[in-house]
Parts: sequence; C-alpha cells; structure tokens
Amino acid sequence: MTTPPSIELRDLCFAYPDGTRALRGVSLSVAQGESVAIVGGNGAGKSTLVQHLNGYLMATQGEVRVGGKPIARETVAQVRRAVGLVFQDPDDQLFMASVFDDVAFGPLNFGLSPEAVEKRATAALERVGMLHLRERPPHKLSAGEKRAVAIATVLAMSPEVLVMDEPSSNLDPCGRRRLIHLLRSFDHTKLIVSHDLELVVELCPRSILLDGGVIVADGPTVELFSNEALMLAHGLERPHILRHLHPHG
Amino acid sequence: MSMGPGNYIEVGRMDELSRMDSPLHRLDARAKGLTTLIFLIAVMSFGRYEVSALMPLFVYPFALTAWGNLPAGFLLRKVALAAPFALFVGIFNPFLDRETLSWIGSHPVSGGWLSFASILLRFALTVSAGLILLACTGIHRLCAGAAQLGLPRVFVVQLLFLYRYFFVIGEEGLRMVRSVEMRGSRSLGLRTYGSLIGHLLLRSIDRAQRIYRAMISRGFDGEVRVLRADAPGWKDAAFVAGWSAFFIAARVCNLSELVGNVVFNIL
Amino acid sequence: MHMADALISPAVGATLWAASAGIAACCARKIRQSGDDRMVPMMGVLGAFVFTAMMINFSIPGTGSSGHLGGGLLLAILLGPHAAFLVMASVLTIQALFFADGGLLALGCNVFNLGFFPAFIAYPWIYRPLARGDGSRAWMASMLAAVAGLQLGAFAVVLETKASGISALPFGPFVLLMQPIHLAIGLVEGIATAALVGFVSEARPEALAPVSTSHERRSRWYWLVAALLMGGLFSWFASERPDGLEWALAKVSGQSQTPSDGMHREAARLQQKTAFLPGYAFQTTEASRSGANAGASVSGIAGGLFTFSAATLIGVGLRRARRNGAK
Repeated sequence: MTTPPSIELRDLCFAYPDGTRALRGVSLSVAQGESVAIVGGNGAGKSTLVQHLNGYLMATQGEVRVGGKPIARETVAQVRRAVGLVFQDPDDQLFMASVFDDVAFGPLNFGLSPEAVEKRATAALERVGMLHLRERPPHKLSAGEKRAVAIATVLAMSPEVLVMDEPSSNLDPCGRRRLIHLLRSFDHTKLIVSHDLELVVELCPRSILLDGGVIVADGPTVELFSNEALMLAHGLERPHILRHLHPHG
Repeated sequence: MSMGPGNYIEVGRMDELSRMDSPLHRLDARAKGLTTLIFLIAVMSFGRYEVSALMPLFVYPFALTAWGNLPAGFLLRKVALAAPFALFVGIFNPFLDRETLSWIGSHPVSGGWLSFASILLRFALTVSAGLILLACTGIHRLCAGAAQLGLPRVFVVQLLFLYRYFFVIGEEGLRMVRSVEMRGSRSLGLRTYGSLIGHLLLRSIDRAQRIYRAMISRGFDGEVRVLRADAPGWKDAAFVAGWSAFFIAARVCNLSELVGNVVFNIL
Repeated sequence: MHMADALISPAVGATLWAASAGIAACCARKIRQSGDDRMVPMMGVLGAFVFTAMMINFSIPGTGSSGHLGGGLLLAILLGPHAAFLVMASVLTIQALFFADGGLLALGCNVFNLGFFPAFIAYPWIYRPLARGDGSRAWMASMLAAVAGLQLGAFAVVLETKASGISALPFGPFVLLMQPIHLAIGLVEGIATAALVGFVSEARPEALAPVSTSHERRSRWYWLVAALLMGGLFSWFASERPDGLEWALAKVSGQSQTPSDGMHREAARLQQKTAFLPGYAFQTTEASRSGANAGASVSGIAGGLFTFSAATLIGVGLRRARRNGAK
C-alpha cells in the first residue's frame, strides 16, 4: 500500500466575504517527508493558502486533504494536531507567560497527563536548543530565540507536517544560519512560504510559484529560480546564490 | 492617570525585579497577597488623626525591601510619583480643620495638620506595600494565586494577555510616536493623533486575530490551561501569621507611645 | 482620577471591592456563556492597546495642555459592556500594581468609577441610542457619553471620599472642584474616542460590529437600577455619617448615637448647605478626638520618630545581613 500524500489540494478556490478571490483553483500534492517552498509576490495568495492547511479557512470550492483525509468540521481538530503552523511573527505565537507555558499549551489542550506534557515540552525545547530559556518570559527573548521557541511550541504537538510562514524574517545572518541548520535536521514534511529565496534554495528541492491565486510553476527549485524571465514576470528575482552555482544559467 | 513613555520602561523594571530570587520571592503568592491585605486594612482602619501609631508599621515595607533585595531608592521614587491625588485631597485638611488638637512643646497643632500628616503616612505605607507585593511576586504568580483563590478565569487570562502584549504594543506605540517626533513635531495634533492611535488600534485588532489563530492552531478550545500551581508550605504560613500578629499588635496598642513612654521613663 | 488607599476607609473599600468583584463575576459568566473564544485574546490585546494609548498624549487645540484616551467608552464600543468592564478592571489593576495609581484596596472604587459608569451607564444609555447613523451624530454621542461617564465617576469619587471621612473636604466645594475638572477631561476623552471610532469605522467597519441583542437591552435596566441603588446608599452614607468608619466602630462597640446627636448633625449639615464654604470646622465624634489626643501627645510623637528610625535600622540591618550571607 502506498502512503497517501501528506498534503493534497484539489482545485482549491477561496473568496473572502468582500468578494476578493484569493485562490482560483490550486491543485498540488506534497509527498511525505518532502520539503516544498511556496513563493510568489505580495498578494499572490500564499497566506490564504496557508490558512487552509489547518482548517482556519474552509475552501469555497475544492478540497484540502491532510494525510489522505479531507478537512471538514469533524476532522479539523485532528488536522490541527497533524499540521504545525509556525507564524511569521513569533510574538503572535508566544502568548503565554513563559517559554515553558507556551510550549506546553498545545499538549495540555490535547488532554495529556502533566508528566507527558512536561516530557514533551522539555523534548521540544531541547530539540531547538532552547531548554535553558524555559522560565523566561517571551518578551525577554531575542528574535532568533523567539523563532526557535515558536518552532518548539509546534514540535511539542508532534505534527507530521510543518508549515512555516516567512521563517527567516527579522533574523540576523547568524540567527538565519542557525535556523537553516535546525530546519534541515527535521524529517517532517515541510512547506515553507518565503521571500527569502536563498533560504529556499538551501532547504527545499522543490518550489511552487504562486501568482494571482493560481500556480504558475511547480518544479525543481534551482531550475525554477534560474528562469530569470519567469521570476521577474511574477515579482521575484533570481537569487544571488544561484549565480555562483550556475553562472551561465 | 497621565503617564509618560518612561512608564513603559518602568513596567519592564518592575518585571525584572519580580524575577529575581530571594527568600521573599520564593514565598507563596497567596501568602504575600493575604499579608498585604491585612496590612492595608490595619493601616486604613486607624483614626483620621492618627500619626504616631502608624510609625511602627514602617517596619513591614522596610524589612521586606531588605529581605527581598529590592532597590529602596527606586521604590521610594515610585511612591513619590504616585502621590498627587492624595496630596490634592489631603492638602485641604489643614485649611478646613483648624481646631487645635495637640501641642508640640508650646506650638499648637491643628487637627487638619494631623490628619494631613496621617494621610501622607497612610499613603506611603499602602503604596509601598503594594509595590513591594508586585516586586517580590510578579504579575504571573499573583494572577495564578488569584485564580487559585477563585477569581474568574476569563478575567485572569485576559489580564495576562494584556500584560504580555503591552510589551509588544507599547513598543509599537513608542516607535510610532518617535517617528512622528522625528519629523519635527513636538506634540501631537488631534488629526495626527487620531490616525496614529487609529493605526495602532487596527494593528492591535489584527494582532488579536492572529493570536487567536495561533491559539486554535494548538488546540485552544476556550479554556487556557496552565500546568503549575504554588503549593504553600510552613514558611508561608509563618510569614502570614507573624506579620499579622505584628499588625494587630500595632493596631490595638500604640507601640510608638509605649516606646516613647519607656524612653522618657529611662531618661 | 484615581482613588487612593490613603483616602478611603476599609468599609468603603470593602463595599466597592464587593460591588466590582460581583459585577466582574457577572461579566465573566456572560462572556463564557457567549461562547466566543475569540474574545479572550481580543480583550487582552485591546487592554494592552488602551494601556499604551494612555501613555500617548495629544495637544488640545488652543489650550496648550494635553490629553489622552481614557478607554472605558472606547472599549465598550469595540467589545460590548461586559468585556469592556473586565478589560478596564485589568488596566486599572496593572496601573495599581505597577504605578501605585490608586491602591489595592481602592482598586474596587476605581474599577467601579472608571469601568462601571462608562460601560453600563454611558454606553447603553447615551452612546448607543444617539450614535445611530454616522458622522456628526457619532461625534456627539461619544462626547456626551464620555462626559457623562466621567461626571458620574468623579461624583462617585466625592461620595466615596466623604463616606470614608479621612479627608476633611466638605461635600459642596469638593463637588464643585471635581465636576468641572472632569468636564474638561470628559470632553477630551470624548474627542479622542470619537476620532478613533471614526477612523476605525472608515478603515475597518467590520471591527465595529454591533454587539447589541435584545437581551442586552433588557440588562441595561438592571444596571441602571443597580447604579441608582448604589448611589442612593452612598449618598445617604456620605451625608449622614461624615465619618463612616467611626460610625461603624461605634456600632460594633455598642455605643449607639443618641437621637439628639443625629438631629444636631442634621441641623449642622443643613446650615452648611445654605452657606457656601462657611468657616467650616470638621465635626468629629468624641471617640476620635480622644484617640487623636493620645496619638499626638509628646511621648507619642517622640516614640513615633523613634520607631520610624528603628524600622529603618531593621531594614538596613536585614539588608546587610543578607548581603553578608550572600558572600
């Protein structure tokens, strides 16, 4: 038996109440363990897409399947455990009094025993190298620490898929480098939405280019990003890192 | 009620103090809260003209400041800054209540001056006790303690949210004000103010919606659960009992008068 | 204007704590029943916003002075009265704890004065009926509601102060002092609130979704009646018992006041009412006089200074001991 794709979108359409059609028929499939980037200019529909992946927004038309199961009212709680969302601004995600409380928030909501919660939170913090900060209040963390802890809050729920919105925003070069190493060490299915194309080149072998609510291109990252005409036509540019790798590309 | 941007930094300073470690910090939040409450009632229940009997109660704030390793100068300045309303109301007493109630040597002292002095002493005592309670416990443990004592959870949780996001929105607000100031205007006109605060409000509303999304992404179902809780021990009980006994003693008999008499007798 | 611990008696503090806590419990239940999970983060973040907005002053045209947002009315418009009351209560709690604005026992008074009136009187009775339609009507409504809310709050401060009997300020002049100041503050708050509501209703009209239900319309009557009862009780207490605590203590210790005593006081009160700011001498009961004499005697004062120094020394000594212990 073949394993079903981690994430599968079938002809996904979505319109906001004011009539804006943000997604107009998006179909894609992400296999288990794959790392895929979603790129595109502002207003391409990236964040609307992300909000469908854990059932915050429900498709006006088409469907979203996670682990083979379509998202519906009855399955949404299960889907939220399976799909971990890392927000663009860690301040939105770290809302509790201390790092530990934040990481324990998810597991506690799933009704685990206090010992199990403690174990999971500790393991998640250890995984991102932030266990020493467990009693700190979130407002006392650096941007890089906040990002790592935000990832830990999601890891503590043991998700199958990690969805990240602009993971490298606000990080200094050093923090960004550390983040890349960290993300590379995860074997989850990864979906990364980012403007940081060089990070994408390092992390995701495959990229999907979105514009105007439809998929413009879907293929190997290096190939896609080297197509200067395509990139420019959709508000992006060829990342510098590729100029060194493929000087004549 | 008016505050300057400096107050943003002051919140941070109090936050830091409450995260220090000392025997006082380690006590149960409810024990400290209860003791503070008894202290406040003791202070406030003194008669209007009471001055000398209030003095022994200063042992409490002074001892706690020392015991908790709190910066006395900083707390003193905060007490002074908070004074205006008490001064405003109290300052009328000497003019309204001129009847002589007492003599210092041959100098008559009117009831108004006595009650004014009493208001100032009460003020110093109650304000410092409150600040010390916060500085040695912290808002989170105070809230957790209050929730354990039955304060509505909705209230406690949103208060903690307020506190958490003050550090985010306060900074956003300060940044916006600074950018207006950088463009040369010294004070905000109503139009600029409306749009500045308006934008801040819209951003706050957006943020609240994103936070909600982050919460439901992690299984939020209307109930915010927290793992830990303080468990009081004998030290906490001793703290409450010891101080309460002292407060009651100071309330019932005028310790100053006693001490004064003893000193005079010896002399 | 924040009430301070130093100015109220325990009886007044406890009464208003009970009132505010009761209202808060009721509001918390209402919010739970509504089942809107979104409310909790929204309340917290808007509380942080109001707290921040209070730090930002704007200049009032033509006066050279500045004002800032009060928050109670704005919160009621954005969140509805129940949530607004709780948020205002937490803003005041944070102020009391961090800035000693008001005090811990006076917190009940402050929450009542600055939370209850805007949320349960000014908003449902003035803002909502008047603000139908938009533009100038909404401005008028915010202005009137803000002024009314603050006037009631200021009056409550006067009543609470009088009922406590710590300050010697007579009722009439105190009212004449407080109300005009708060008229000005109320106008400023009204302007700020109207400017904000106008801004949001243009930029994000859905954020101002009406929270009203028929149920709420009914409940506004309860709150009005409750406010009137509370006001009546306190007015009586403040006027009949200039010294609330002494009266309560006398009651407890069984010293009942003779009718003639009460008559005498009533007459004196009438006399003060007819003459505006007379050479007012504060009345006190015999008990407090004798207490004061004892407290202000020479040995009392000397002993007071002595114990104060002793308290300081204990503090310094403890600190030394701790420092040495840490080394």
